[in-house]
Amino acid sequence: MAERVTETLYDAYAQQFSVDEKLLEQNSQHQHLLIFENAKFGRVLTLDGVVQTTEGDEFVYHEMMTHVPILAHGEARRVLIIGGGDGGILREVVRHASVEAITQVEIDEAVVAMSKTYLPNHSAGAFDDPRFTLVINDGFAFVRDSSEQFDVIIVDSTDPIGPGEALFTQDFYAACKDRLTPGGVVVTQNGVPYMQLDEVCNTAARFSRLFADWHFYSAAVPTYVGGIMTFGWASDNAALRRVPVETLEARYRAAGLRTRYYTPELHPASFALPGYILDAIGKR
Amino acid sequence: MTVLSLPGNTAPAVDYRQLVAEYGAPLLVLDGDALRIQYRALRAALPRVELHYAIKALPHPAALAVLDQMGASFDIATRGEIDMLRDLSMDPRRTIHTHPIKKDSEIRAALRFGCTTFVVDNPDELQKFSRYRHRVGLLLRVGIRSKDAVVDLSRKFGCTPEEAPFLLAQARQLGIHVKGLSFHVGSQSGSAEGHCRAIRICAEIIRESRAQGIAKLTVLDIGGGFPVSYDAVVPDIDAFCAPIREALAELPGNIRLLAEPGRFLAAPAITAIASVVGRAWRDGRRWYYLDDGVYGAFSGQIYDHTHYPLNTLPAEGELQPSVLAGPTCDSIDVIAEDIQLPELAIGDLVIGRMMGAYTWASASEFNSLPIPRVLVVNGPVAKPTLMRVA
Repeated sequence: MAERVTETLYDAYAQQFSVDEKLLEQNSQHQHLLIFENAKFGRVLTLDGVVQTTEGDEFVYHEMMTHVPILAHGEARRVLIIGGGDGGILREVVRHASVEAITQVEIDEAVVAMSKTYLPNHSAGAFDDPRFTLVINDGFAFVRDSSEQFDVIIVDSTDPIGPGEALFTQDFYAACKDRLTPGGVVVTQNGVPYMQLDEVCNTAARFSRLFADWHFYSAAVPTYVGGIMTFGWASDNAALRRVPVETLEARYRAAGLRTRYYTPELHPASFALPGYILDAIGKR
Repeated sequence: MTVLSLPGNTAPAVDYRQLVAEYGAPLLVLDGDALRIQYRALRAALPRVELHYAIKALPHPAALAVLDQMGASFDIATRGEIDMLRDLSMDPRRTIHTHPIKKDSEIRAALRFGCTTFVVDNPDELQKFSRYRHRVGLLLRVGIRSKDAVVDLSRKFGCTPEEAPFLLAQARQLGIHVKGLSFHVGSQSGSAEGHCRAIRICAEIIRESRAQGIAKLTVLDIGGGFPVSYDAVVPDIDAFCAPIREALAELPGNIRLLAEPGRFLAAPAITAIASVVGRAWRDGRRWYYLDDGVYGAFSGQIYDHTHYPLNTLPAEGELQPSVLAGPTCDSIDVIAEDIQLPELAIGDLVIGRMMGAYTWASASEFNSLPIPRVLVVNGPVAKPTLMRVA
């Protein structure tokens, strides 16, 4: 029988993949990394037994993480990506010709190299874009120590239990705010609320102390199991969250985008949250 | 790691002098086949129980790899043990974290590794899991004192059976899933009486908590304590486990059973070889000074209260009252007093058997003496190498 990989995130529930071929398995710096081929999802990357990304459904995550803030902003020239070493966010950002400079801060250079080799469709050559600068540094240290300003900050972090822990702290969000141009927006990976409701509660509490407008929007990423996942949204410009569909439509067309998950109609709808999440973040 | 391949049932046939000539002394010979024999025996004696090897007994990579290949699961207690399993690419879903008291950083390290089963025995510890409640399934450790275990493990850990319902209710209030109970009657139990009593007490807690709707407990971890023969003969494992099987049969349905054997699996796996480095006559007794002692592999004599079966090479000669002392400058470093031994010369060997559990694991480098080397025989079967794409 073919080997199977069972995710190790929850004690009482797990998703399982058949492994058609193991492509890479590494134990490094107290971390276990595995890339394998699965018939349904293509190449799957797991870190410490938890699915990070798959070729099959990565478009949902990367499109929603990128086009929602950039199209809502409308005039994003400078974009900062924290984490995201697989290059999926970058690939979506470079599709916006209006963006002039893209900085990505990745803590581990090996992740970028490994992704180029084993997940080449994630970056699809975007690492070679002339507007792009790769900084190998701790994301928290970068936003704390840098003096650069960005219109859009995209925080593509791992789970808060692990190396991404610092990217869920009040101090990190405060430093992000300092890096934003006036009216800029920061979006964050915020987990699957049905499984980890605390994550939205914690982020909501932290955002509310820092930003004039904050909320979450959602998408269903099949391999982030447990229902919809949420993205954190924080800005001092409340209007960014209320851009009319027609405007989004016009910007989408002007950018010449063709996307598989994101649509201008879905964009505002993704900010409509289920009751249990609204209750958890005190918005109902 | 040096791996020496010796044929099948090798222990008696091993030429210890030859090994010492080749690898030096002191030397610990770790025999993978001894682990396999013990694992099979315990599996047969407790067929319904998932065996989680208590890594602490002998945290040697070869031992872990052999048991992994046999299908064993693992009982981990620290981040260091987790790192060992990760280095060996072992499946985190087959691990349980059994230390009742731990730092938050230890919990996070275990969660990152992929272990989701943890043990608690008090309100503070339960509280620590509040922020991880969506991810974990806990076992509540119940302390049940046993008179006849050599190492009593219910003094330091475990809530009383009376406290259990309150802790279960607290967990429920915090939204933390307690999925079962665990107990540990102690190590090297003289009889299964303690296990059976504990199983019946736990069965009662399981029934009561179900009846009162406090918790639906579906796991029972019966710990370890399965004895091996050192200087005293103990019942064979099948006979020892017979009353345990009976007690388990009385449990309510749908209970997953776990155990945490350490000593039983590891003890027979290591034979220690020490050599005589010096001799003296003192108080009418022959003193032999060895290159291994209680700060080395014989540390189990201190920490584990164990005396290992010893013999000498050569084995023949007129017996005389003798003392075997270790290599350090400390006077506590004496392995055996008033032992009857034949006359030994410098370079002769002392062989310690049943020295796999809590020996090498607790050996120190006191006096800046290195911990004895381990020579693996009948080690893990080589895994096929992973195919890589460019």
